[in-house]
Amino acid sequence: MSLILLLVILAIIGFIILTYNRLIAQIEAVRNNQKQIDIQLDRRFKVFESLINVVKKYMDYEKSTLKDVVALRNQAQQAKDSGNDAARMAAENKISTIASGLNVVFEQYPDLKANQNALQLQEEIVSTENKLAYAKQSFNDSVEIYNANKKSFPANVVVGAFPAKLNFDFPYWQLSEENIAEKESYTVQL
Amino acid sequence: MSDFHDYTLSTADWRKTLRQNTFRTYVVIGLFCLIYCSIGMLVDMYMVSTSYPSASIQQLFHALITFKIFPLATFVMLVIALVSLMVSYAFYDKLMLLGTEYHEINPATVQNTAEQQLYNTVEEMKIAAGLRYMPKVFIIDADYMNAFASGYSEKSAMVAITRGLMAKLNRDELQAVMAHELSHIRHLDIKLTLTATLLANLSIMVLDMLFYNAMFSSKRRDSESRSGNSLAAIIMILRFLLPVISILLLLYLSRTREFMADAGSVELMRNNQPLASALMKISDDHQQHRDQYSAAYQQTPHENIRRDAYIFDPIEAGIEARTSINDIFSTHPSLDARLAALGIKRR
Repeated sequence: MSLILLLVILAIIGFIILTYNRLIAQIEAVRNNQKQIDIQLDRRFKVFESLINVVKKYMDYEKSTLKDVVALRNQAQQAKDSGNDAARMAAENKISTIASGLNVVFEQYPDLKANQNALQLQEEIVSTENKLAYAKQSFNDSVEIYNANKKSFPANVVVGAFPAKLNFDFPYWQLSEENIAEKESYTVQL
Repeated sequence: MSDFHDYTLSTADWRKTLRQNTFRTYVVIGLFCLIYCSIGMLVDMYMVSTSYPSASIQQLFHALITFKIFPLATFVMLVIALVSLMVSYAFYDKLMLLGTEYHEINPATVQNTAEQQLYNTVEEMKIAAGLRYMPKVFIIDADYMNAFASGYSEKSAMVAITRGLMAKLNRDELQAVMAHELSHIRHLDIKLTLTATLLANLSIMVLDMLFYNAMFSSKRRDSESRSGNSLAAIIMILRFLLPVISILLLLYLSRTREFMADAGSVELMRNNQPLASALMKISDDHQQHRDQYSAAYQQTPHENIRRDAYIFDPIEAGIEARTSINDIFSTHPSLDARLAALGIKRR
């Protein structure tokens, strides 16, 4: 009889320890996932910052090249109109050196080709936004697991015994009511 | 995007699918352990039956299960199982890519946007799944559309995908396939399947040894002990029944885990349509290029070790793999069953 009693007590203690440890692990998972949202927000800021810089530089380069080409083309046209063949040839030659220079740049960096660049940019933006969204989803999932475990019987008895260590109220990640209404009525304006 | 006009769409109850199949897995793994221990007990009973010739089977069983006689064979068999499991855990990862042309991708080595996209989708799913380590990502140079995952823990996890799959799926579908593979890793399916396979094979091996032992020494034993005759009969029946039972159980386990990985993919993406359309595309593609892919699969050595792990079993499309008894059955549920579990039913 006393043996059975001992076994029952041991089983209860074992259950309490397991439940306690599981809840602690779940609480830390929630906290980590919460920080993961911060990490992704930070990443988004940095990635977009550097993307904008890259694009600016690239666009400047293209813009100045384009300006040069247009100017040279005008020179060539004027020279042609005025019958100055030597000046026209010089202008045309300069354009082709710019063009071949561009080609060299493109060949060295095949990814620099404009549409490839746009695709890459698009992929980077989509992926960054996705990562942020999935980080939020993952946070909410861990909150769900923790809350379900905390509130279910008999784990809630253990939580009641150690409220300072085990009982936390993590709100789900969500938008405010006004924000939801605003986003709900949003349509794309082109 | 594959069109769904032949199908009625609804949402997938992935929580329910996960719950049901987790229960089924416990049952199957429990059965395997039970079978393994029963075979051990059978060996024990066979061994002690000579020492206690007058005892009946029930008496022998009772003595062993209450440790009045120590079940030495069962104990030794359990030790052997543990050791071989640990050995195979240590070496198995290296086997999975055997025979294929592959290369690893990571942010430093990506060559184009498609590869970057693949890596990004895996990373996104890793974040959604809350995994601590980024799995290794491999691309297999093959035209057929398939993918698989391997790894005993999050640390050693890897996913591999063929070029054909990368080329023919859009971003969402690719992501759904990667979510399916990451779910396999999350659910520790590779470890589970290998454990079950190893237990099944060990039980069959031990039973075989017992069978030949009983055959060649049967005359001497039968006259000596009361239980000898019935033990020999049980061994004989089991020897023919056990391999079939093991294969059926393994297939059931594998299908259960596929359903779970599909549900896991929906859990991570919160959308059932990308996976459904990816599965339909892969299946259609296998039907269309059956002959070509059949040749490709057969030319790739060691294809059978990947069969369980693939997202799509080539057998489904009528592509026969190597000659082996379990090729009669598919390791994966049928396409319609998988779609139905995703909440998409054929009209």
